[in-house]
Amino acid sequence: MTVSGRRPGPIVYGALAVVLAVSIFPLYWSFVVSTRDNSAIGEKSPVLLPGGNLLANLRAVFDTVDFWSAIGNSLIVSGTVMVSNVVLSSLAGFAFARLRFPGRNSLFLLVVGSAMVPAQLGVIPLYIVVGDLGWYGRLEAVIVPGLIGAFSVFWMRQACEEAVPGELVDAATVDGCSLARTFWHVAVPSIRPQAAVLAMLTFMTTWNDFFWPLIVLNNDSPTVQVALSQLASGYYTDYALVLTGATVAVLPVIALFLLLGRYLVRNLVSGGARTFT
Amino acid sequence: MTVSRVPVSIFVVLAALSLVVSGCSSAAPAASAADVDLTVATFGEFGYGPLFAEYEQAHPNVHVKGRVTDFDTHHKGLATQLATGRGAADVVAIEEQYLPTYRQSLDKFVDLATYGAKDLQNQWAPWKWAQGVSGDHVLGLGTDMGSLALCYRRDLIAAAGLPADRAALAKLMPTWQAYADVAERFAKATPDVKFADSAGTIYTAMLNQAPENYFSQVDDSFIADRNPNVRNAFYLAGGIGAKGETAGVTPYTQPWTVAIKQGSFATIACPAWLLTQIREAGGAENSGKWDVTTIPGASGNQGGSFLTVPKQGKHPKEAYELARWLTAPEQQKKLFLSAGILPSEPAVYKDPQVVAKTDPYFSDAPVGQLFAASADTLRPNYRGLRDADVRPEFGRALGRIEQQKQTVEVAWPDALQQARGVLK
Amino acid sequence: MLRGPWLARADRRVTPILFVAPFFLIFLVFGLFPLLYTAWISLRDWQLINGDGGFVGLVNYTKLFADPNFYNALVNTVGIFLLAAIPGMLASLGIAALLNRPLRGATWWRTGVLLPNVVSVAAVGLVFGQLFGRDYGVVNWALGLVGVDPVDWQASTWSSHLAVASMVMWRWTGYNALIYLSAMQAVPDERYEAAELDGASRWRTLWSITVPGIRPTLVFTVVTATVSGLQLFAEPQLFDTSGVAGTGGSDRQFQTLTMYLYEKGIGHYDAGYAAAIAWVLFVICAVFALVNFRLVRRFVGHTR
Repeated sequence: MTVSGRRPGPIVYGALAVVLAVSIFPLYWSFVVSTRDNSAIGEKSPVLLPGGNLLANLRAVFDTVDFWSAIGNSLIVSGTVMVSNVVLSSLAGFAFARLRFPGRNSLFLLVVGSAMVPAQLGVIPLYIVVGDLGWYGRLEAVIVPGLIGAFSVFWMRQACEEAVPGELVDAATVDGCSLARTFWHVAVPSIRPQAAVLAMLTFMTTWNDFFWPLIVLNNDSPTVQVALSQLASGYYTDYALVLTGATVAVLPVIALFLLLGRYLVRNLVSGGARTFT
Repeated sequence: MTVSRVPVSIFVVLAALSLVVSGCSSAAPAASAADVDLTVATFGEFGYGPLFAEYEQAHPNVHVKGRVTDFDTHHKGLATQLATGRGAADVVAIEEQYLPTYRQSLDKFVDLATYGAKDLQNQWAPWKWAQGVSGDHVLGLGTDMGSLALCYRRDLIAAAGLPADRAALAKLMPTWQAYADVAERFAKATPDVKFADSAGTIYTAMLNQAPENYFSQVDDSFIADRNPNVRNAFYLAGGIGAKGETAGVTPYTQPWTVAIKQGSFATIACPAWLLTQIREAGGAENSGKWDVTTIPGASGNQGGSFLTVPKQGKHPKEAYELARWLTAPEQQKKLFLSAGILPSEPAVYKDPQVVAKTDPYFSDAPVGQLFAASADTLRPNYRGLRDADVRPEFGRALGRIEQQKQTVEVAWPDALQQARGVLK
Repeated sequence: MLRGPWLARADRRVTPILFVAPFFLIFLVFGLFPLLYTAWISLRDWQLINGDGGFVGLVNYTKLFADPNFYNALVNTVGIFLLAAIPGMLASLGIAALLNRPLRGATWWRTGVLLPNVVSVAAVGLVFGQLFGRDYGVVNWALGLVGVDPVDWQASTWSSHLAVASMVMWRWTGYNALIYLSAMQAVPDERYEAAELDGASRWRTLWSITVPGIRPTLVFTVVTATVSGLQLFAEPQLFDTSGVAGTGGSDRQFQTLTMYLYEKGIGHYDAGYAAAIAWVLFVICAVFALVNFRLVRRFVGHTR
């Protein structure tokens, strides 16, 4: 049993419990407000117990905006971006890590450099580009720019470096396997856990992305975050309504966590031989 | 073993498929040649839902869709849409504080006079009509208005030994100077409760009562430093804030909601549309504790919107017809009766049904009458082209005064300097 | 699998390019082009709505470098970034180390830690507005319990920076912890076994084995965190409850560079000026990222 494998004691659990409480409290509080009405925000001390207004608020949320549609759109967007990122960056990461080709190092430097470009930088030109492509108000506008990113490429390159044995790749190529086939049979089985983590991270950040979708989408096909801003419309904000929507918006992501969460468990048995360098 | 490029091509096809699928899912069905699709972009509660259905019934070839976002996103989004020349709705609502800026971009909007809008001029009060035009160009048609009154907490006012009756209170504070004096009395009597919500609200109410403030109506030059209206308003509101007689909370924010609920302040200059917000924030337990009376200075307006037609739309004439119908007196009356939206046309707000309206939450105050009277005596107030750029500087300066970071004497020149800096 | 040598050579040469091409294609269209276009806009007098006003050279930049609000935003940005990033990264490492154990109900712990990043930004703004409320906020109430006067969190520079930093930390610590956790899973057992044989304490193991073992990930997250930290927008924007979006308080006490960019570009419609701010921000991000890149590599030795 390794050092990390010894059973954790109460201190560890205690510390984690504190972290969990801090992480969860705001979500719990917004759930509580979504079971009450707007004036609950104005209470002297934060209301901590749920009230009975949840159904009414839920009904209002789904009546005010087409929330099902918004959830569906967010699923499409986040799902597509997630799959695309994992697939495309696995290929790119594999190439950067295990294949030799001219300009490999400079190109990878460019990948890292592109991570330094602030996202808010080119909002107006990006809006123009997207408009020229005819995507204004359509989901393509939020899907296509996000199909692959520097972080994903870096992540999967790291994964291939660590988990895909160079010797096996060389052996397969010498044997006459095409690179595509090598990728499929040698790399893919080894990088599944990291791919799953990347999938989760990408889904999460895309789901919660609000700045760009707010600019480029409208309520023809809104994502969940855009729909939430519609709930907050008016000269004033019906906070109970917004927080109800926000609570509902969290649920699909939690579902995904529970599905893919097991990949965060230490994977003692991985495909292929491990390198010891 | 055979050469197999299949795996790679599968990925490529899958990725392409997903793009195509998502493209298909949001593609619109083809419309028939005579059909006209109109989109109306608004923020908040304009109450247009049932009106759209009614219009569609009367005009079978027209389909109307509403697009609602929150106030900030709507206006910031409009800027982007006009900048890039795409994405704007056919009819767009613009609120009064944003409208002056667009007088610099008249070429982006349809001049509604070309469709005969000038004939509609007498539908509105002169000050409302004036806000929506620039020279001869008719930019927008008025929807609602934010007629000003003074909302107050009867119990808090009474607790300070002041008359809680509407008429008596109004008589006590006919001018803003009197208001400031009453604030002092109130603070002495009940130091724990603040008299007003924020210096900014007082300041804005005063500004809107004058014919011009930051910019000259003659040549749009910056006159804030010379205009006594601005200086007086700033010093008066700032004075109240400096003495700690305001709660320092801005409407539409969470601290404001808390302050309403907890009864942290006694009075607030309230436009008609703020009543709903006070009701929602206060909750059931504060019902009947509020009341409404005439505002110092007897008149005022804050807010209210206009329907405009951006040039990039495909059906400007039909869009104009829709906008004209939506702002017609019959429709404005319907909106008032169904959603309580204050009409901006004298024919409507002097209508007996409107005038008779009272509000039980506000101790059955005759709100219809109060707001109508406030609108009637209002004179046009000129806002310069760059009004929206300069206004926040003064609001922020008042905020600094309330937070005890600057005195009024220091904040005033500071605000002027920052305003000039923005204009450069 | 037999193939002709020509095909094999072509495959070896072309396929890698095909593999990396999608990234560069997307980056070219949606990353590089807007970047260059923004540079072009910054050299012109470009009003957002009325369009191009002509070439003005470096005027936007000279105005920017003489603008006290720019320096104010710069100081705020760096200040909040340091305040949030340093404790945040350390906390992420710590939490990842804690989670890197055979816990009971592991998935639930890990999900819980990730939740803050999933909560809608709108909700986050409301919650933290309540927490740091001047009159009835939880934090002031807790401070009152130990006899401290209520703080007007929004009003002063230090308090607003603290509040915004705590918002940022709350949202991103779990996310980074997850990344570190996943990287930690790849550290080979043999190193831990060797350390245990040597009698190393847990603390020592963490700093001598685990952290160096995840060095590349550490370096990359520091770089990306630097860039996104210097671009901070959402959290301080939401914290400004006074409704004047974008100015970061009555005295611009917590206005970041991106908020100033937004105020100038979309608020005042001066797109040329905003583009100049954007490019200066880009250069600042690159410089800081490079510095941090060097720093982390220097201080975290590697065991490869």
